[in-house]
Amino acid sequence: MAELITTTAAPAPSGNRAAVATLRNIFQMQNWVLAGLFFAACFAYPLLPFVEGWMVNQAALVIIYIMAAQGVSILTGYTGLVTVGHGAFLAIGAYTAALLMKYTGLSVIPGMIAGGLVSAVIGFALGLVFLRLAGAFMAIGTLGFAFFIGSIVNNVPIFEGRTGISLPPNTVFGFEIDDFGFYYVALVALALTTLFVYSLIRSGVGRAFKALRDSDKAAESSGVSRVLYRSLSFSISAFITGVAGALNGLIVNYVSSEVYADIWYSVDILVAAVVGGSAMLFGPFFGGFFVAMVPFFLEELYDFAFILKGVVLIAVLVLAPVGIAELVSRPVRAWRQRKLLEAGESPELADAPGPSAGGGS
Amino acid sequence: MTHLRCEGITVRFGGVMACDNISLDVPEGKIVGLIGPNGAGKTTLFNVLSRFQEYESGHITYRDRNVDRKKPHEMIRLGMARTFQNLNLFGEQSTLDNILIGAHRHLGNPLANMFSLPGARRTEAALVDKALAIADMLHLNHQLDKTVKSLSYGWRKRVELARALAAEPEMILLDEPVAGCNDEATAELEEIVRSVNRNLGVTILLVEHDMSMVMKVCDYIYVINFGANLADGTPAEVRENPDVIAAYLGEPTP
Repeated sequence: MAELITTTAAPAPSGNRAAVATLRNIFQMQNWVLAGLFFAACFAYPLLPFVEGWMVNQAALVIIYIMAAQGVSILTGYTGLVTVGHGAFLAIGAYTAALLMKYTGLSVIPGMIAGGLVSAVIGFALGLVFLRLAGAFMAIGTLGFAFFIGSIVNNVPIFEGRTGISLPPNTVFGFEIDDFGFYYVALVALALTTLFVYSLIRSGVGRAFKALRDSDKAAESSGVSRVLYRSLSFSISAFITGVAGALNGLIVNYVSSEVYADIWYSVDILVAAVVGGSAMLFGPFFGGFFVAMVPFFLEELYDFAFILKGVVLIAVLVLAPVGIAELVSRPVRAWRQRKLLEAGESPELADAPGPSAGGGS
Repeated sequence: MTHLRCEGITVRFGGVMACDNISLDVPEGKIVGLIGPNGAGKTTLFNVLSRFQEYESGHITYRDRNVDRKKPHEMIRLGMARTFQNLNLFGEQSTLDNILIGAHRHLGNPLANMFSLPGARRTEAALVDKALAIADMLHLNHQLDKTVKSLSYGWRKRVELARALAAEPEMILLDEPVAGCNDEATAELEEIVRSVNRNLGVTILLVEHDMSMVMKVCDYIYVINFGANLADGTPAEVRENPDVIAAYLGEPTP
């Protein structure tokens, strides 16, 4: 209350918005430079002399996991709806692309887009169905959805069950592509989804998602429609994971229910999102890398790999409950926050404001 | 002209009559108070009017338009904002973000917005400017970058009021805006409520336990007790009403 009294007594000071805005711009530039360097490094990676096809392939798998986790992060991180069934959207994306490729001869890029769009439509519908679910009930509902899709791809003839659908080699703009080409397609897709997520979470729509996450009641009283924004979040989330699914099928030219009816896919991408930091732009990057690479590094350990993965997972969750990305960026963000507050409280430089410029009292 | 009217609102929670045939009339551009002892049904009625609460019978009209079947987020689109008695803020988010979410109804096309298309960016910039102006009016300038959970109770109350104002509403339902504030903060909020009403032309329906504030700022007062209308009139009339004195104030005010 002491603060309140002082503001009452003194003429209302106007925070130094100009200084704060300048600082924000500087921070934003720093972020852009870092992200640019990161993507440049990813672009250069296959050009390194010792890099072979399988290594590029593994890197593409990491990218696919990152994108799948990005999809999960929209729903779970920003909208607060835990999904334990997002593997279903991987499946929808993969099968959409595979079937279109098999029956209409579609190439990689239209296949990805179609996979994303079909996922998005089904995601929107699922958002409407699950409108009233929250917390554990949402987790169980999405899990049920994954089982439902799993049994469909297992049993409906067109999906060819465990036999699977084998696909012709991938082409882009009529040219056949190898592992290197596929990696670049995936990388460009990742750059685009990252840009989109960046734009989304800073937009008014992202704000509405976060509002629903933090308080349904307050969000609705501010005019956010639960029906629309929940379904929109489901839809966007499903789109990104669906694109990842299409890539996941095309990278091995093979889609079968043995892979996509498996519930562990859903768990893996949820783990990727949560471990990385589901409410942070670069969280899925850490999480996707973690989930895709841990089995790879621990391959020689056979069954012990699963145990170790579990141990590592628990360690991460205990040490960095809001995600690895948060842990890594914590000092930077703390420093920036302090600078912003200092700037906000520093006296105005040029124009000295009169009391309460907004004409309040 | 009537801005908001409700007639015969009845709400039952199990065997408890929370609202029993309550009617009230809020004229446009006025500050109307709603008072009554604890448990009289004020907050329930607020929830009914902002459409968070279903009711058994009765009708609500907003600007002569029936809103019985509206959802909470549709009420704000019609121009009616509200604040909550126990605060409903986004604690992990900054003050500025909390205010901005209040302006949600001015967002425009969500698809253009999420892709940050040029038009949407202009809209966004305008919303931020407006949020800053509101923050200025409520003296929240220094709190803008802080998370709301780090603010004291009095500041949070203001953030909630700022969020309601960001919608540029024609009417606001204020649920105990000065609860927990000291005298100086109360005086300042009184001034703010008055200026919102006079300068911005916003109709206000106010629930408040601070009698001196209610008597000072309200043009008209409704008193409810045990979920039913007890009396209504100007502050002077209500103050002199024997029923009100018996039921609510306990003894005559000096």
